[in-house]
Amino acid sequence: MNNAVILETEGLCKHWGGLKALDDISLKFHDRELHGIVGPNGAGKSTLLNLLCGHYKPTSGKIVHKGEAIDAIKPYAFARRGIGRSFQKTNIYPSATCLENCCVAVQRRMGGSFNFLRSRYRQQVLEEIATEALEKAGLGQRRDQVASRISYGEQRQLEIAMVLATSPCVLLLDEPMAGMGHEESQLIIELLKTLKREYCIVLVEHDMDAVFELSDKLTVMVDGQHLTTGTVDQVRDDPRVRDAYLGQGDEVY
Amino acid sequence: MTTSLFFVQLINGLQYGLLLFLIASGLTLVFGVMGILNLAHGSMYMVGAYLAWYFVQQTGSFTLSAIISAVIALAIGIVVERLLIQRLYRRNHLDQVLLTIGMIFVFNALQSILWGDDPLGVQVPEAMSAAIPLTDVVEYPVYRIFVALVCVAIAAVMYFMINRTRLGMLIRAGESNREMVECLGIDISRLYTIVFAIGVMLATVAGVIAAPMSSIVPGMGEHVLIACFVVVVIGGMGSIKGAFIGALLVGLVDTFASVLMPQLSSMMIYILMAFILLIKPQGLFSS
Amino acid sequence: MLFNKRTERYFVWVFFPLALLMPLFLEQNTFYVSKLTTVMIFAIFVMSLDYLVGRCGLITLGHAMFYGLGGYIFVIIAPEYEAVNFWVYTFYICVIAALVALIIGFLVLRTSGIYMIMITLAFAQMAFYYFSDSIDFGGNDGVFIYVKPDTSIFGISLFDLDNPIHFYYLCLLSLFNTLFFFRLVIRSRFGRVIDSIHENPGRTTALGYNVFVFRLMAYTMASALGAYAGYLFTLQYGFVNPSMLAWTTSGSALVMSILGGMGSIYGAILGTLVYEGLHYVLEHLTEHWLLFMGALIILMVILFKNGIAGYLEKLLEKRS
Repeated sequence: MNNAVILETEGLCKHWGGLKALDDISLKFHDRELHGIVGPNGAGKSTLLNLLCGHYKPTSGKIVHKGEAIDAIKPYAFARRGIGRSFQKTNIYPSATCLENCCVAVQRRMGGSFNFLRSRYRQQVLEEIATEALEKAGLGQRRDQVASRISYGEQRQLEIAMVLATSPCVLLLDEPMAGMGHEESQLIIELLKTLKREYCIVLVEHDMDAVFELSDKLTVMVDGQHLTTGTVDQVRDDPRVRDAYLGQGDEVY
Repeated sequence: MTTSLFFVQLINGLQYGLLLFLIASGLTLVFGVMGILNLAHGSMYMVGAYLAWYFVQQTGSFTLSAIISAVIALAIGIVVERLLIQRLYRRNHLDQVLLTIGMIFVFNALQSILWGDDPLGVQVPEAMSAAIPLTDVVEYPVYRIFVALVCVAIAAVMYFMINRTRLGMLIRAGESNREMVECLGIDISRLYTIVFAIGVMLATVAGVIAAPMSSIVPGMGEHVLIACFVVVVIGGMGSIKGAFIGALLVGLVDTFASVLMPQLSSMMIYILMAFILLIKPQGLFSS
Repeated sequence: MLFNKRTERYFVWVFFPLALLMPLFLEQNTFYVSKLTTVMIFAIFVMSLDYLVGRCGLITLGHAMFYGLGGYIFVIIAPEYEAVNFWVYTFYICVIAALVALIIGFLVLRTSGIYMIMITLAFAQMAFYYFSDSIDFGGNDGVFIYVKPDTSIFGISLFDLDNPIHFYYLCLLSLFNTLFFFRLVIRSRFGRVIDSIHENPGRTTALGYNVFVFRLMAYTMASALGAYAGYLFTLQYGFVNPSMLAWTTSGSALVMSILGGMGSIYGAILGTLVYEGLHYVLEHLTEHWLLFMGALIILMVILFKNGIAGYLEKLLEKRS
């Protein structure tokens, strides 16, 4: 694992009043690796993602992207630096076509967003890139369909396609397989396997089999604390991990 | 400004602030519990003033007039909620705005039909027409002090009601979690009707007790509605405590501004609001 | 295609030719010509509001502030007894109104939803009280304009603003341009971002857009156009007074835009026509037209949610 560190947290904390949702998390995310994050409910996984994409501001600690501390910048600036995220609840533009959904994402980079007069429909390059992103996510055939009319699983794929269309360097994926059937999940797993050859992926997922199958590195969190980080085998054999999960009484793998 | 003049303005400001609180608390209560922005809230203040005038003409007694007006207000509140507001719970803000604008038009038209467009006045009740001398030249009318005391009393009752009674418990629960209240098997639509009627009554009572202090004119409702908006924006929408602090702030700033800088007086409270918005976009006591 | 809905194309093809010919039929009756002129001016204002509320999702109850400012800016910057150039002052007024909108928008757009409704209203009232209390601007009576601007470009005067028919055509041209402009903006790349923000602001931020700046741009643009409408109104009647900035102006404009069909832009013309038509008829039938107007608004909110444009589109869709 000699890939460069792209994203890094140093002593990251998020407190809500007295509640420590996240406490002193220091992690390193490497390029072209899939870094899984697991933990029981309420472990702070989603909070961590929300901090990494700039949606929340940390109470203390630092987020470092390519050597620069970025925790003070605005939420939209995270996406501009190439930190793209998908959401746990499907978060798309339901009334627009799949292509249009991705075009919004591409246009951010291509510019012209403050052009009041140039038609949004004269845009070959833009559409090509958007189509490419859709195809990468396996949605090539759904290109011209309205997003609210495609299946739930496909909407999850669209979610990922939109992130890809921003041409990110880091993908933060929040339970991309949530609510999916086995076959649909399998599709996403295959997709992520190809994507992780190109991107740094941070994956929060409840589906343990999927995480174990995909992760190059795995972090276990409990109650906002960092429990352990290692390869899948290291984590699997760690007795503390078993305790953490058994102690919670649910989601035993 | 001499000390006594300062003192008079201080009481004036507090008294105006307390009156504003009475109106704004109804607005904020209805929003906090039901999520409804009632633009016609100011119209109820106007209705209160006109009702007070009408029943003083009929009965000759201000107290009696106030009681009748309050009862009518409750009835109006119940009818309006059942007939119109109920349809708005699942609608967006825009529909609320429009429907309540329609209500303002209707109330204004009714006022013009029933009572005409000429300014009216209500005599200060005889028992309270005296003034307390502060110095040799400065005196302060008893009625204004009475108004302030009534407002304080109502505020205290509301505080007690919200914090100590079953209805208050439901209101607080409804503010934080609508579904939970429904799950507890409480008839939420009845709770809403009650809350709305109370909101309407608060504005109407404010109109009644303000009637002897100012002339009763068409458009007085809109004027007071805007002042309430400023109060609620400053205090934080849905917070009774915020409405209290906001109302006193607005009352004091408005009163002192009209003495100290008359050119800017009508704009001062908006400048205050803009300033607070810059620091706390959700108001001082937002949840 | 610029007018992408069939209904809208039909509307444009029916309304504008009719409006072009209208003065021929009404030649004897300048009253109706000037009435229609006022309706078209107000339709420009309603259109700019419709863009904000219907396309951007920014509900404002203070848009009339810019309508009134359009007039007041003119009386502030124009010399009292000297004809100025109409086009130059159009430019000035739009720029100054845009600057004001930038400042107000910066404060207002920090908030959203119910807060934004109340704060826009409060700011508009601030302007209202400022002008109605001020002695310099004639208080509630407002200010009269003694000399109307001339409309020459390079020495060629196209419109004589004192002639009601000329003024009618100037306003018709302005109305068409405004519709055309908003269509262009909606179709543009900027329009794509605005649509995205309207549908899902959170996602749009996550894609890297600074939502605040886009909203501020849209707010500024719509406000400047609202001021232009106010400027035309001031020129038509030769005065400006605080009632132009009153909250009732904003309120009735909102009602018209809903009546026409929120977010459809061309619906603003329909809504204004129908509302003003009803107003005119009711006013002649009864002194208490406000009562019926209020009741109609209430009924409209409860029963007629998609407005006239929505209704027409449904009708034409069924047939096709």
